[in-house]
Amino acid sequence: MQPSSIASYMANGRLGRLCLKELRESLRDRRTLITLILMPILVYPLLSMAMQRLIVGTASGLNADKTEYIIGVKDEQAGSLVASALGETALAIRQGVRHSIEIRRPMLTSSVTKKTATKATVAENTGGNNAPQSDTADRNPEVRENASAIDPQTAGFNIVVAEGISLQQALDEGQVDVAVLQVRSESVSLGRNGTYPAYQLELSFRDADLRSEAAMLEFRKAMELVNDTQSLQFRGALPPAVRMISTATGRKVDAMASLAGILPLILILMTITGAVYPAIDLTAGERERGTMEAMIATPAPRFLLLLSKYVAVVTVAVLTALANLLACWITLSIGGLGRALLGEKGLSLLAIVQILPLLVIFAAFFSAILLAMCSFARSFKEAQAYLIPVMLVSLAPALLTLMPNIEFSTLLGIVPLVNILLLSRDIMTGSPQALPAFAAVFSTLLYAAAALVVASRLFGAESATAGSQETWSDLVRRPKRMKELPDLGDLAVYLALMFPVFFILTNLFGQIDLSIASKLWINAGILLVLFLIAPALVAQYRRLNPRSTFLLGGWLGDSGPMGSGELASGAPGVSHGAGLFRGLGVLCGVCLLASGLWVIAFEVLKVLSDFGFGAISIDRTEALEEAKVQFASIPFWMIFVTSALVPALAEEFFFRGYVLSAFRNRIAPLRAVLYSALIFGLFHVINGSVLSLERFFPTTLLGLALGFVAIRTHSLWPGVLLHAIHNGLLFWLTRFSEKELSEWFGSTNQHFPPIWILASLASVACGIGLVYFLTRQRFHENAT
Amino acid sequence: MIVVSELRKQFSVRGNTLVAVNGVSFAVGNSEVYGLLGPNGAGKTTTLRMVMGLTEPDSGWVEIGGTRTDTDATGIRHQLGLISTNDGVYPWLSVREMLMYFADLYAVEPQIAESRLAELAELLAIGSFLDQRCSTLSTGQKQRVTLARGLMHDPPVMLLDEPTRGLDVVGSQTVFQFIELLKARGKSVLLSTHRLDEAERVCDRFGLLHHGTMRYEGTLGDLREQTGKTHLVDMFIELIREDRVGQATLGKSD
Repeated sequence: MQPSSIASYMANGRLGRLCLKELRESLRDRRTLITLILMPILVYPLLSMAMQRLIVGTASGLNADKTEYIIGVKDEQAGSLVASALGETALAIRQGVRHSIEIRRPMLTSSVTKKTATKATVAENTGGNNAPQSDTADRNPEVRENASAIDPQTAGFNIVVAEGISLQQALDEGQVDVAVLQVRSESVSLGRNGTYPAYQLELSFRDADLRSEAAMLEFRKAMELVNDTQSLQFRGALPPAVRMISTATGRKVDAMASLAGILPLILILMTITGAVYPAIDLTAGERERGTMEAMIATPAPRFLLLLSKYVAVVTVAVLTALANLLACWITLSIGGLGRALLGEKGLSLLAIVQILPLLVIFAAFFSAILLAMCSFARSFKEAQAYLIPVMLVSLAPALLTLMPNIEFSTLLGIVPLVNILLLSRDIMTGSPQALPAFAAVFSTLLYAAAALVVASRLFGAESATAGSQETWSDLVRRPKRMKELPDLGDLAVYLALMFPVFFILTNLFGQIDLSIASKLWINAGILLVLFLIAPALVAQYRRLNPRSTFLLGGWLGDSGPMGSGELASGAPGVSHGAGLFRGLGVLCGVCLLASGLWVIAFEVLKVLSDFGFGAISIDRTEALEEAKVQFASIPFWMIFVTSALVPALAEEFFFRGYVLSAFRNRIAPLRAVLYSALIFGLFHVINGSVLSLERFFPTTLLGLALGFVAIRTHSLWPGVLLHAIHNGLLFWLTRFSEKELSEWFGSTNQHFPPIWILASLASVACGIGLVYFLTRQRFHENAT
Repeated sequence: MIVVSELRKQFSVRGNTLVAVNGVSFAVGNSEVYGLLGPNGAGKTTTLRMVMGLTEPDSGWVEIGGTRTDTDATGIRHQLGLISTNDGVYPWLSVREMLMYFADLYAVEPQIAESRLAELAELLAIGSFLDQRCSTLSTGQKQRVTLARGLMHDPPVMLLDEPTRGLDVVGSQTVFQFIELLKARGKSVLLSTHRLDEAERVCDRFGLLHHGTMRYEGTLGDLREQTGKTHLVDMFIELIREDRVGQATLGKSD
């Protein structure tokens, strides 16, 4: 697979046509179309009906349950009024006026209960019979006993008085299900028949809360019953006995979060379903039809063959996701289920726009997994046998996300599948958090890349060897020959394995209460292990030439052709003196770069925070101030070693050594520098347990400069020096107070004065120019 | 032009070592059809896979058109065509789409591929159903599409792995005509088969493989001299009889 042959497949839209063939094959297949179109059309309406049933069931179908709804009132008097208002209903039923209603409608009432909630206390309510305004007891003394003999099998109301807490608060906190804000009663004259009491109630309930809504529903029905009874008795000639106004109040999300979690789960499951068939069909299916061998026998690079299949599978998966999202949205909007599940706004368009990319990322990840699983299956049946356990295994943690109290914590951010599910749930309920969200997206993309690499190795290996036993060992087999540069696929796998470890470790030590000095040492240790020792071991195992991979050839690197790594420094035909001159020149250039870059990095941060991007929140400022004080107590050499020297060594070794070399192996140097700088920037966004998005830009900028120096000098050391000076200067600055700094820089708004910025830019330009010109001849020798 | 030298390949199956190919050498010139013959398990397919560069030999080498397969395993495949027994078609693609897909896999320029497709459509009589989905084709039509597929990149070397297995008389006849066509176009053809009668009809030279070793090699005349038998079938029966395990395999081989 030499680059030139890959290039010939990339040219003239050939790769596009290869993808098109796979897509045609998938999309013309009826079975794909069924999952793509028919399933969403069927699943969501059915699901909606089931959910409606569930909600209605909770609201009215609890007759068999001994559900007691808690009605909150202001004081005892109000409690008595409410009780007597509802008490009328009890009478009505017992008198047998409306048998039909009695069967459906359980009654209630004013039983004396002590609620031992923390803040609300219970009124010693003796019930509606004793209410001063009520003449019920006088008219029907025998009913009183009946009314208190409530059927234990029915739902009822429990009237409590809120004490030491406002009614609204009690309602918001879920201590009461319905709050009676106002209750008035008046006597309505019946002419010669005397008077009857009429009640006016003002109630409040929690919107989109099953229990509260159900309580409201019960209450309303009880009230209607009273009125119906009365209008029957008096033939509708009178105004209703009970009137009420109800208002919905802020919703309580927690109870619904678990139900809201179902939606992402279904969307993800459907996306998976969409990808499964094409993944099997384009790999194992190809074998079964006998087209695989002919395809593998062509000179087309296997990675590209797999890539075209991957593109097709992802496309079908994304189309399925889109169809499902659309069907889901339509169903939720039409049925009103969206409001019940997700609150007032239902499934907003914004949430859809946010969830779709998540589904795309997930499709990218899962399609790669599916292809890896199917790549060494010989038949449809075999592939299915592999996939079913995978699906079941991934379903178990997925179901976990349905538990209501699962919070999308930082560490769950790196658990594949679970992270996307929880993130989508949080987006739907409108409360996503930045760090876990970043971890979820970044780690899933890394896993996708790694899975794709695994898939392409399996896809290649499977036909090359006669027996399938060898396929797995191919993945991790130690190469026989030494290689100059690392494989891009190895990098993807290493990143996918290393990122979760890095993430967990930095988070863990960010939260543990340790002295700042020990934190600095631990951090330096983590960097050394993950960025220096582990890559070195990987390189050793994969038989990589350390000189060419990690650019260890001396101050100005190896002078032979790029990657040869054979010759020591001092190219033939270049005198020793000229070499020394160039070495010193590069040193000057690096110093110039270092003296200017930190100012620019600092300024970029400032400008970003001026625009509100990554503005530091109050608690973080406090933490920073505290850190500053603690920092001051540590000797500077320790800070320099742990925060400048070790990071410079380890990060240069990994990002400019391993990462940049892996990219250089496949793509043009400048693009390799760009990609390695982006990865460098992304890794720096994770800052302990905090997501510092604003660090991405200055760090990527630094990464570009470091990458440039590395490929021009073909050596790690100038970059290490530059990186160490840069970090050292920034940390040195933290030792001064802001007052001192502003006096120094002659500026009060924390920005550098323009003359500083100009000087820094000039210094950086000179540094770049110097490095560029001094390495020009060598670079071209290397490139050819 | 194919040159195969001292190829050797062994597999380990559940701890036992099985020598599939043991020092096989032969050469196929241009406009020549070479029959690689042998009973099942003689090592024919492994040899072909090594020629294609799909299997790495333990030792020995293969040269196609002057280039060793171990130096440029991918590039060499531009020179090779492969048609085997199990070849299928893509049910959901039209004949044209499938053939153009293979042209792309061989990095053939689209214009060249178009004209080649037109030429092959006439030669193999597939023109009438070029835009039909492959799933709708008859067995014979599918077979001709497969033959056309092998020629889309016009390779100088063609490998045929049991091309007539499972075909009826008409189908086999098409394959013979195809081989004649290849020969007329100056291609080196390596035909692996255990149908000895067919081999006698179409091959210029033969190599008789048995248990991974080349037992006899040459033209039919050479073989007759070496073995004293007239027909390939008799030569084979003799070969197997020499073998200790003869009785067991006799019944199975064609």
